[in-house]
Amino acid sequence: MSAEDGRRKFKEIYNFIGNHLYFNRPDVEVKGERYNSALLFGLLTCLVQGKELIVGEPGLGKTTSAEYVSSLFYRIPLGLIWGSEVAGHPEQTEEKIVGRPDLGKLNQGIESVVWSNFVQLPVKIVDEINRLPETKQSMILDGVDRGNWEYLNEILINEEFCLFATANYQDRGTNTIVAPLLDRFDVMVESKHPGPNLSFFIGYREDKDRVLRNPECERELQKVLADKRPYPEKLPEIESLCDRYGEYLKEELGVETPDRREREEMRSQVAGIPFDMDAEAFSRTMLAELSFCYQYGQKRSDERCDEGCHYTGYLCHNIQNCASNRLPASLQRYSKALAWFLGDERVDLEHVRTVFPYAMAHRVRWKESYSSKREKELREDPLPIYLAKKAVAEVFRRYSEQKEEIKNALALAFRIMEGEELEPALGDHPIYLEIRRDLGRRLRD
Amino acid sequence: MLSQESFLRIWSSVRRKHLFPELPLPELVEGAGKVAMEIKSKRMRMDISFCERMAGRLPEEEVVEALMDHGVAHHTCCPWDFSTYLKLYAQAKKVLRDPKMARRAVGYFTDVVADTYCVRRGDTKLPQLYRHMERGEVEETLVSLYQEIWGMDLGASGHGDVVRRLSRIPYLDRKKWEENVRRFARAIKPLLEEAEDEENPMGEHGPSDFSSEEIGQGLRMLASQGLDSFREIVQDLGEELLAAGGMGRGRGNPVDVDVLFYMKLAEGYALPVQKVPMEKSGSLYPYSHSPWEVGKPIKDLDIWTSFGKLLPGVSQIWERREGEVFGSSEGTPDCIVVIDSSGSMTDPRKRLSYAVLGAACAADAYLRNGAQVAVYNFSDALRGGMEVLPFSSERGAIYRTICRYFGGGTALDLRALESLRTDDPDIFLITDMQITNLRKVVDYLKGVRSRVTVVHIGENRHVQEFKERTEESGHISIYPVERQEDIPKIVLGKVREYLR
Amino acid sequence: MINPFEAFKEYKYRKRALPLDDIVASKAMVVNKLMEGYQHLLDEEVKELVWLARENTIMRAYALAEEWTRGIDYDVEDIEEFCFELDRIRKAPYRIAGPGGLYLSALCNNVKDEEVVLRIGDMEGRIHLLGYRLPKGKRLIVEGDLGDFAGIGLEGGELIVRGKVGNATGAGMKAGRILVEGDAGHRTGEWMMGGEIRVEGTIASIGQVGFGRIFERGRQVYPPITRPRRI
Repeated sequence: MSAEDGRRKFKEIYNFIGNHLYFNRPDVEVKGERYNSALLFGLLTCLVQGKELIVGEPGLGKTTSAEYVSSLFYRIPLGLIWGSEVAGHPEQTEEKIVGRPDLGKLNQGIESVVWSNFVQLPVKIVDEINRLPETKQSMILDGVDRGNWEYLNEILINEEFCLFATANYQDRGTNTIVAPLLDRFDVMVESKHPGPNLSFFIGYREDKDRVLRNPECERELQKVLADKRPYPEKLPEIESLCDRYGEYLKEELGVETPDRREREEMRSQVAGIPFDMDAEAFSRTMLAELSFCYQYGQKRSDERCDEGCHYTGYLCHNIQNCASNRLPASLQRYSKALAWFLGDERVDLEHVRTVFPYAMAHRVRWKESYSSKREKELREDPLPIYLAKKAVAEVFRRYSEQKEEIKNALALAFRIMEGEELEPALGDHPIYLEIRRDLGRRLRD
Repeated sequence: MLSQESFLRIWSSVRRKHLFPELPLPELVEGAGKVAMEIKSKRMRMDISFCERMAGRLPEEEVVEALMDHGVAHHTCCPWDFSTYLKLYAQAKKVLRDPKMARRAVGYFTDVVADTYCVRRGDTKLPQLYRHMERGEVEETLVSLYQEIWGMDLGASGHGDVVRRLSRIPYLDRKKWEENVRRFARAIKPLLEEAEDEENPMGEHGPSDFSSEEIGQGLRMLASQGLDSFREIVQDLGEELLAAGGMGRGRGNPVDVDVLFYMKLAEGYALPVQKVPMEKSGSLYPYSHSPWEVGKPIKDLDIWTSFGKLLPGVSQIWERREGEVFGSSEGTPDCIVVIDSSGSMTDPRKRLSYAVLGAACAADAYLRNGAQVAVYNFSDALRGGMEVLPFSSERGAIYRTICRYFGGGTALDLRALESLRTDDPDIFLITDMQITNLRKVVDYLKGVRSRVTVVHIGENRHVQEFKERTEESGHISIYPVERQEDIPKIVLGKVREYLR
Repeated sequence: MINPFEAFKEYKYRKRALPLDDIVASKAMVVNKLMEGYQHLLDEEVKELVWLARENTIMRAYALAEEWTRGIDYDVEDIEEFCFELDRIRKAPYRIAGPGGLYLSALCNNVKDEEVVLRIGDMEGRIHLLGYRLPKGKRLIVEGDLGDFAGIGLEGGELIVRGKVGNATGAGMKAGRILVEGDAGHRTGEWMMGGEIRVEGTIASIGQVGFGRIFERGRQVYPPITRPRRI
């Protein structure tokens, strides 16, 4: 399959959902085209096998957007996706999420695992993950991270996987997602209110859930999933049933979806897209501001830098924690996927600028003094995404103003590391000090 | 006269050139025309008359651009921040011994560094500005220096010996700035003496260049270097520090240097004290599962997830958690800081008193948590040797009372202390325990419902007695200090525990 | 080793140089050479961290100092910088007084300029034996204090100290002039053979003087002026 074909299918799914199932306004602009972030990032999550956190008010389509996206991208009938979702509540058990002992066999003294649909299907949806105990949140994220699920010494390996988790805005009454777990989500998006007109229109379309249903296919797939054969043996059958559903989608709804081989091809095409120099330098500049601390060497959650530091004007002064290594990883995967989707040969600044706010919004903890100052500003995004967008815009301005110097400093660093006797470049931005540190110079002279 | 549009355009290009430092938009102001610019709280103010006067020799745009280059480089290169400025000042003062001369020397030194930094980056009009500027004796020498080290003809001459000395200083080596400013000051000293009244045409630099936050940080750095150097430098720069609002209490509201010293030093020990937002209700509810193991009680067994089996690894028990309910205990109680300033304690104004520092750190910790602090400073209180500050949030007043030193005997006036107590505030007592009415004090502290932290200096029989008699009281914690230096650490650690 | 800057390999970088860089580098090289010479002197003269100031040790150390500094193209500012370099190094044997002063004397005596001004007022340590054998035609001006044996064995030069001096100032001087603007210590003018010492402050005590004159606050104190007795 050519990249062009893949893109066409991807775009078809996006348009189909946007036009028939998930009505929402576009809220993100890339290269002159406007997209809906929940939908776009949902599809990118399926493509890069990522983990997406969807936040939003109750009833605004957090879960349904994920269901539609995954149903079409992975060719899984909607009914089956419903049956495989994990609902977040404090009493949720590992048995309901992962699998349980085969009771019949257990009574005969034999250990055998009956796996849940949640782990067997490539796409995992967790509703209200914030209501799950931390141990269960962690278990799910571990499973998705590795693609492995373990129960009673048995193991199930997913070859394709991605995760969508929804969360209500956190109030003091519900459990929260702890910071280390939040960090493991690649992106965070909001499923927004579509506005009164679209919202009223949605009321006419009560049948939209039926569009992606296919009871026959669902029944047969369910039968295979419930079958007690080993999972790898069931896979070809699951795949052919999914392809049958794909045919149905094409014939009945006119939407072409990728089969497994095509999905894999898409992924390898995505992985092969390189970053251009500006995208790379900007990402580093941004990461420098998110991790740098002149006073303590790096940001640490339990340390607060002083007022009056020379770097007060940079992001590092307004944030509490340090950017983890997962942030650049998420940024790279989603930026590449976005570049692929837009048909670009390289990841450029525009892709990185688009992805960065969604990759950092849930990971950055702003100082209260900063977030409370900006909380009341006019905005259209929830505060974390809004602050992240502002931050990216601010750093982008700084970067665009001094991009030649930053690239010069990085190029110089390359030569110094190769053994040339040169002095690292000087500049005001934290990136220059970080480069110096990489070259073995001290942070403070 | 330069249009606002051109001014903004120049500013934008200067910012671009300097890698866009975070600085406020400069201003053009009416001045006497002698000094090109000044910097106030990081904002550059350029003198219109100076620019216009220069305009005859150099396009006005170039004058403004050069001045902006100069001002920005002070922020991005040298002195960079107020702490660095203070370090440079202290070194220059060592050589020159005269505050005014030291300030001038630091001003010229930072000018040379900043301008050389600009010239090294290239694309600056500074050399043109210097070539055409009217020059006094010192400026003439500096321009000769620039000729030498920038390799340009700027039409200056004279003072060859001084220039020779100046030209060998590695200005751009930040590591050597402290040593360099001494060399610079030594070399330029005869000139400074000679041209005593010469103004720096590029503007005098000093504390007012910086933001009040930066000044605060610089003073904290200075306080950590000891009382004497703090006192010396703050007295030297006092007026300007005060005007710049760096004395910790806003503009025009002075505090005594010694009190300021303890304030800044205590800030250096600032603790992130956490509030306790929740009160546990005590009721337990099932929260998550864990596997049942042989030997574990089976009362919490979840028969559903155990599939009716009692098998290790298969059966599961509920882990219960305490329910969290919002209570009324949010926040931090107020605190009475009781400090002994009798003759056996160090006089905080003569030497660094760790007792005062400890009390100050504790007071700060409570203040930061939104609580109020009362101070009871005593020596022989029964004979009037005491000062009481009722509950207050005013840091200056609290510090002034803590820093008060009486000398003489030691006795606590319990009635005065009692009069301060409302709603069971925490009590923080710091003393060497050589209190004449110690028994009464012990009985009193045993009787109160407040949490009491006692920090004592050294071991003596009174301490033993105090310990023995308060052993049973759960609300009194005693922290011994072998060396006075330990006080701040202990106080902080324990207050931290307390408030968590 | 990983080079995390690989992506910027192709980027063309710029480097700008100023004459300052060359000046600083060449001066640093001279001071380094002076330090190396001093190191040689210490290696040969200071054994087990001990150096005793005796006539023969002084003469030998000075001769070595002249030998090690020969051929180095230095100027007065280099000498001053060397003083501070010595002051900055805290470790032994650099802190041993004596050889440093002799080495500096050799530098001052052989520098091409006739007048040497050392602004060392803010040095933490004191230099001893400075001005040793200062020859005729040389003028050494020290802005700051000196230690013991300032102007020892002076050979016709002029030593001006804008500060105070330690003990045995002008010891064994043959000719020339020493002017001290501050006070002088004990045994001033010890074994003096000629020349003149003027102290504008006070002199703690005068040593065993052979020949020459000593003034304290403008008044000649050696040889003592005996007023003719009024008859």
